[in-house]
Amino acid sequence: MSTRFKSSRKFSATIAASAAAALVLAGCTTNGGGDGDDNGDDTTSGTVTIATTNAANSLNGATSDHNLNTNGMIDYITGNGWGSSGPGTFLNTRANADAEIESNRDETNGSFELVSEDPLTVEYTLNENAVWSDGTEMSVDDMLLTWVINSGWFAGEDADGEPASYFSLAGSTAGLDTTDFPEIDREARSLTITYDEPYVDWELVNMLGKPAHVFADQVDMTAEELTDFFTDAEPGYNEDETLEAIGSFFNNGYAITEMPSDEGLLVAAGPYVVSDFQANDGGYIEFSANPNWQGDAPGVDTLIISFIGDASTQIQQLANGEVDIIEPQADANTVQTLESNGAEIITGDQLSYDHVDLSFRGVFEDERIRQAFLHTIPRQAILDSIVTPTNPEAQILNSQMYVPSNGDDYVAATSENGYEMFDEPDIEAAQELLNGETPEVRILYAADNPNRVNAFRLIQQSAEEAGFVIVDEGDPEWSPRLGSEDYDAAIFGWISPGVGFASLPQIWQTGGGGNYNNYSNSDIDALVDESQTLIEDPERMLEIMTEIDTITREDGYGVPLFQSPGLVAHNGTVDGILYNPNQTGVIHNILEWSL
Amino acid sequence: MFAYITRRILVSILTIVAASFLMYTLTAVSGDPLEELRASNAINKEELIQRRIDLLNLDIPPVLRWFHWLGGVGGCLVPFAFECTLGNSVEGFSVAQLLPPAMASTVRLVTVATVLAIILGVAVGMITALRQNSAFDISITFLSFFLYSLPSFLIAVLLKEFGAIGFNNFIARGDPPQIGLFWVIAITLLSAIVWAMLLGGDARKRIITFVSAGVATAGALIYINVTDFFRVPHLGPVLLFLLIGLTVVGMTALTANLKNRRALLAAGIAGAVAYICYFALQGLFNVSSMWTLMILAVGAIAGSMLIGWIVSLFGPDKGQVIRAATFTGFFASSFVVLDRFMQAWPAYINHPRINGRPMATAQASTTGYTADIWGTGLDQLMHFLLPTISLTLISFAFYTRFARAGLLEVFNQDYIRTARAKGLSEHTIVMRHAFRNMLIPLTTIIAADVGTLLGGALITERVFAIAGMGRMFDVGLQKLDLNPIMGYFLVIAILAIAFNFIADLMYAVLDPRVRVK
Repeated sequence: MSTRFKSSRKFSATIAASAAAALVLAGCTTNGGGDGDDNGDDTTSGTVTIATTNAANSLNGATSDHNLNTNGMIDYITGNGWGSSGPGTFLNTRANADAEIESNRDETNGSFELVSEDPLTVEYTLNENAVWSDGTEMSVDDMLLTWVINSGWFAGEDADGEPASYFSLAGSTAGLDTTDFPEIDREARSLTITYDEPYVDWELVNMLGKPAHVFADQVDMTAEELTDFFTDAEPGYNEDETLEAIGSFFNNGYAITEMPSDEGLLVAAGPYVVSDFQANDGGYIEFSANPNWQGDAPGVDTLIISFIGDASTQIQQLANGEVDIIEPQADANTVQTLESNGAEIITGDQLSYDHVDLSFRGVFEDERIRQAFLHTIPRQAILDSIVTPTNPEAQILNSQMYVPSNGDDYVAATSENGYEMFDEPDIEAAQELLNGETPEVRILYAADNPNRVNAFRLIQQSAEEAGFVIVDEGDPEWSPRLGSEDYDAAIFGWISPGVGFASLPQIWQTGGGGNYNNYSNSDIDALVDESQTLIEDPERMLEIMTEIDTITREDGYGVPLFQSPGLVAHNGTVDGILYNPNQTGVIHNILEWSL
Repeated sequence: MFAYITRRILVSILTIVAASFLMYTLTAVSGDPLEELRASNAINKEELIQRRIDLLNLDIPPVLRWFHWLGGVGGCLVPFAFECTLGNSVEGFSVAQLLPPAMASTVRLVTVATVLAIILGVAVGMITALRQNSAFDISITFLSFFLYSLPSFLIAVLLKEFGAIGFNNFIARGDPPQIGLFWVIAITLLSAIVWAMLLGGDARKRIITFVSAGVATAGALIYINVTDFFRVPHLGPVLLFLLIGLTVVGMTALTANLKNRRALLAAGIAGAVAYICYFALQGLFNVSSMWTLMILAVGAIAGSMLIGWIVSLFGPDKGQVIRAATFTGFFASSFVVLDRFMQAWPAYINHPRINGRPMATAQASTTGYTADIWGTGLDQLMHFLLPTISLTLISFAFYTRFARAGLLEVFNQDYIRTARAKGLSEHTIVMRHAFRNMLIPLTTIIAADVGTLLGGALITERVFAIAGMGRMFDVGLQKLDLNPIMGYFLVIAILAIAFNFIADLMYAVLDPRVRVK
């Protein structure tokens, strides 16, 4: 009896539970056939998918923490004018059909002109119809914000006397740090800056970055009020609360681990707007056409950049049609696999190049020994063993100033600088110079980089033939040792900026931050100083660069070896793909793509 | 007992602290986090280097920096009083914020593979032990050692080449895609041989198995070829009816006995209800969300139990009847759901983002693909199928060997001999006496495996581009980003120690000879 009773209670409880479940069930459905229709609806007629190695982690690649090539790509196509600036900003840095880097003025949203050379004065003017992707008109406030961030106007020293700034820039404030507070003409939509000193790369200075109205929101102001605030605020670093808030938004506000809910972060000036994002390896970022873009409509509606860290995975994804374009690390194996998969391959050179530098401290203080050593470096053999398998057309790099991506300038410089005398080793000449001496040379290189190890082996073999005693200083921890006295020669790489000359003093001037070799020549110092003050004088610039190239060659500074090979592979669905040597990669000419 | 547990916990904490010290200092001295900056020719290089030194406290020697890190972690043990932090990554993201999504995708990736490997491995291992030294045993031994010795990246790359790219090419090629005659014959023979070996018996029984398995396989393959099954898969009312009928019979036979009429009746009713639901629920399926399906699943199981319970009121063997109804209800409704997934398949493969190539080689979902629950479900399946297979194959080998050795060892015990002498049926000896005792050492292995489960599968995650724990460790190591590495380490270490501890306790529960002191 009691069992019965319990059972029937269980029974009714079950009925009640199922009734409740049915109710919940009704609530837990999606709204009707809408979803079914969606299946076919968001057919994105023009979607292109690219795989890239690093996962994006910020919509602002200009900060020191998030200075990553993928973040730079986002900046490029959303029209963020710092770094390698994209379409929609005042200047578009990209490659042409010959894979040469060019900086072209882009007048979609505004233009700039040189008002005077002395003092150097530049006027930036926004177009009347220039708007952000959210429909807000672009204004002088936007340009002023960019200037404030990049000029270091509010940088100074903190209480302990240490240098301090609200904005953690990946780039430097060089150039704009000598400008006065800009003159603003709100009616004419123009901003004029005057430099205290001539600045060679003034044309590369871009005045369109992030939208001021979004920054102003962070501190509960309007964009105009923000401009007034900047105008009135004391320059330098004063631990100002408003500036702290703006700086912290610039530094960390754009960092993303998921699709941001704050639409302000997505506001763009360029042809595309971020429309979806998933963080980390295996994730992706999706871009849709900017509805308010004033330039020509892009031929591709949707761009997806997938983050795929593993090169073989990228190659198989391309073969399976999951991605359309990949830019894997170039090596002979990769090229072979891609070819057997039937992918279309474009090879080229990257802006990074390997070189051998001689330290002017120890055994190489003697110019005779330097010249003898340089004569033993088998540059053609190094190129043949490292680069040729990937790019059969690769050539020895013959300039320390230019790379072939600089076009005619490289050709002009190499015809005069005399580096071709080092193409092939000349053991006899080296032996003659050594005159029977057997100097000991310690060579520093990255022991965990197979290319550098390869280069070292070839150099070692050749130099020992001439009588040098080579000490292997290969070290996975090579980089902290740069600039120290415990090596005589170093094999490592630089990345050429591609455009601009502001980094010259770094490497070549006496005491420069990248001058690890203690190189010092007063002629070079003078030439570098002069180069930094040239305004609109490309002929003189070429003369100076060629002269630096020639003098450093004569001084036995070292030799350039080769440019790292680069590679784009695609499955043929996209037309108009051009190789781009710089970090922005293949998307540099996305506006010219079609399906 | 209490003292034992307390002592174990204290020792565990000390172990973790000591291990974290080793891990931290060794990782810290293994490379230079400033390398990329040193080799850069940025104008403000010095400033950038200084900023990173400040961010990561690189001016403090690693040993002292470890105390700093430990202090942050220690704060988590004393909530509210101190600040709890696992530190930040180089990019300024908090490690505590990075860990949960990585753990989630690892769990998604590894759980199914681990469960499959355990079930398949133990089952196959037991069969090989029962047929020791037979052709089947030797083939499986060969296969499992072969899989065990294959590097996981190779398995992954091969799976992608043939399982994804090859399969997709196959689907895209024919109209409809046809399995060639050679393959029909090869697969038929293979399946016939495997079944014959698997079921064993005398020559006559083997021949019967061989022929019927061969005919069934060939029939299925021809059906697939004729009906364009790869592009328009379907069950439909007819196939579904047959499948559910088979399930009713099969489940009754397995859980009870076909002679048990009430069990058969209960299973039959459960199957019939599922079949009716197939017609009734299509409208609801079209608007279903994840939660609808969950509720339906719970409802299906509860409903089948209810059916079993009602039928069982009319006689004995209550448990068997309920079990028969429940299992039948579960599998029959799974077929109904499977049918709905199949209905979504054509729309899925024809979606422009899929473009007729459904099997994916990497990532956790198709980028830019949105659809209803059926479409996204298929998408998930197509992305997780290959990595799951690759992980299963690797650990399958291990469990097979372990189960085989375990069962053989138990068979040599005196009590098995006694049971045989007593005249117990072989089925009872294996399932009741041998199997249960074999499971005792297996618990330790499984517990240890679950502990390392969250460590992720470093290589599989990398090759299939899934951002799990292994990937987080890998990326952190490449960048010498200490805090994410230590976050990973903490999770792994705590789980490994905790599950070892649980295994020890379980041992004491399962095996009366073991005492916890």
